[in-house]
Amino acid sequence: MRVLLVEDDRLIGSGVEDGLAEVGMAVDWAYDGRQAQLAMATTPYDLVILDLGLPHISGTELLDWIRKRGDHTPVLVMTARDAVADRVSGLGAGADDYVGKPFDLTELIARCRALVRRSQGRGTDTIEYGGLIVDPQRLTVMRGSERIGLTSRECALLVELLGSQGRPLSRARLQDSLYGWNEEIESNAIEVHVSNLRKKLGSALIRTIRGIGYVIEAPT
Amino acid sequence: MGSIRQRLTLIVLSGVAAVWLYSLYSSYRQAAHEVGEWDKARVEQVARALLVLDLDDLPVFAKASVPPRDDDGDNDQPMPLLYEIMATDGRVLAASPGVPAFALPGRAAGGQSAERARWYVYTTGDPARGRIVRIFEQCSHRSAVSAVSAKRVARPLLFALPVLAVLIWIAIGRSLTPLRILSKAIEERSSDSLETIEIKNIPDEVVPLVSALNMLLRRLRQSLDRERAFTSDAAHELKTPLAAIKVQAQVALTARDPQRQRRAMQRVVDAVDRSAHLADQLLALARLEESTPLPSSWVDLAQTAQACLAEQHANAQRKQMSLVLRSGGQVMVQAPPALVRILFDNLVDNAIKYGRAGGRIEIAACNEAGAFGLEVKDDGPGVDPQDMSRLNDRFFRGADHTEKGSGLGLSIVARIVTQLGGKLEYAAGIEGRGLGVRIRLPASIRPPR
Repeated sequence: MRVLLVEDDRLIGSGVEDGLAEVGMAVDWAYDGRQAQLAMATTPYDLVILDLGLPHISGTELLDWIRKRGDHTPVLVMTARDAVADRVSGLGAGADDYVGKPFDLTELIARCRALVRRSQGRGTDTIEYGGLIVDPQRLTVMRGSERIGLTSRECALLVELLGSQGRPLSRARLQDSLYGWNEEIESNAIEVHVSNLRKKLGSALIRTIRGIGYVIEAPT
Repeated sequence: MGSIRQRLTLIVLSGVAAVWLYSLYSSYRQAAHEVGEWDKARVEQVARALLVLDLDDLPVFAKASVPPRDDDGDNDQPMPLLYEIMATDGRVLAASPGVPAFALPGRAAGGQSAERARWYVYTTGDPARGRIVRIFEQCSHRSAVSAVSAKRVARPLLFALPVLAVLIWIAIGRSLTPLRILSKAIEERSSDSLETIEIKNIPDEVVPLVSALNMLLRRLRQSLDRERAFTSDAAHELKTPLAAIKVQAQVALTARDPQRQRRAMQRVVDAVDRSAHLADQLLALARLEESTPLPSSWVDLAQTAQACLAEQHANAQRKQMSLVLRSGGQVMVQAPPALVRILFDNLVDNAIKYGRAGGRIEIAACNEAGAFGLEVKDDGPGVDPQDMSRLNDRFFRGADHTEKGSGLGLSIVARIVTQLGGKLEYAAGIEGRGLGVRIRLPASIRPPR
């Protein structure tokens, strides 16, 4: 899951970036509207977290710009001005959800997940596949009553592959959805995560397609 | 002081009472005069009769007192007239009993009146018959008659006064109804309604009062709006560092990587510093808003700049900046020292924050050739021309701010300069780079030569 964070305040931005990275989200952080426009023009995002009080281009203007170009990426607005009137006008302008500053990090993460889930047409956060129940929030996979623990990246990779069942995903694409702009990536990071997942869940789950990437087959 | 109604009623009633008293007095005087004239005629008539009466009848007549004519129906006691008839040689021919003994000069001809010991005495004589007649009447009788007639004039008005008072009271009350309606309307307003009062249906006399009140309400609303905007901005600004503290603390709590944890804790500390700085700035601004002026004294601008630079030295060193003070000796101004210090602190603090690392900051305090003031220049990235006009706005921060500014520094500076009656200008900094803040102070705070 790749998230664009648009926040001009360094202290809040770095906190959100670290907090989301901790649960396995890839975060790109834009400091202002122009950077955000550039990022959105070049990278597909699952979610945008938007602060309204931005220099140059205000958050509202940016939101307008996103919706005008026909982009339906869910937008979570984050602002200190959270009076009811502000919320209503924000939602009216195309925001999907709202958190007021100071917010709770766990609530922010839960809202992010809910927004992405809704945009993917899923009702619940857990994903069922071939006798496995994947819970991205707790970073666990249940096989019957057996609980298998995953790291945040492993879980993010699994969810990504499960999200496009039957369609192979390239290693670059997987890297994009797991790592943000300024995270250092080992060249074989994806391979390491895939091999760990195979060890924990069985080697048959994820199939390698040589020269292309990885795929989880759609259930027959 | 009582109500307008009470005062008006009192004033109108005392006016009526004064007129009433005057008319009472003048009618008494009139009545007394009339009574006097009438009595005089009566006494003369009796005297003339006594002069011509037969000598034998005189004692009989003298014994009978003549009751005053009293047909006005009231019950005043008849007052007798007393007589004394004498021959021209002083021999008493006849006298009423109880005639007072006066030594009065006898007169043979013509009438003469005199008052003696509460008696009114009329003396007349007939030299042909050799007779002098004196008629005595008690003075009190006359005044009693005058009093009675005056009382008759006074009585209806005396009864009318309370009725008049009630009528005046009601009339004034009714004319004050618009005022009562107005005060009721104001009373029933909700405490947060600062709408102006409608001037329609208000008596002309009250219009200036209501207009003045409306002006006050408008000013009050403006200042309240400003206050609300400030409070809302301040709350918003305080929420930002709080949000940072909360999110960083939660990262520190949940992070499994110890390095990430440490970093988050360091950022919590930074955010707390920033909140504290913001609170300080808000307090400074609040103090500047207070109406009581701070005490002024002679302040040396160069010396204050020096003290400020010494304090900011550590901050400047952290960014490897050089601080330069240019001044030609003492520059004395008459101003509150605290304000001058806050002014310098904010300017230098700003220059360090937004100047470039390894850059240079120049501070000048000058007092030459009519130019009197101070200047702080840096060679940093400067301010976008489009943002120049917004520098004095509260909570405004330039586009690219990585620093922990509150956006209040320059608005505090602007406010102090206004309080000192000076002028604030923004220009390019050192060698056309960065930002230069130039402050000109008025001649009035210059020292005498």
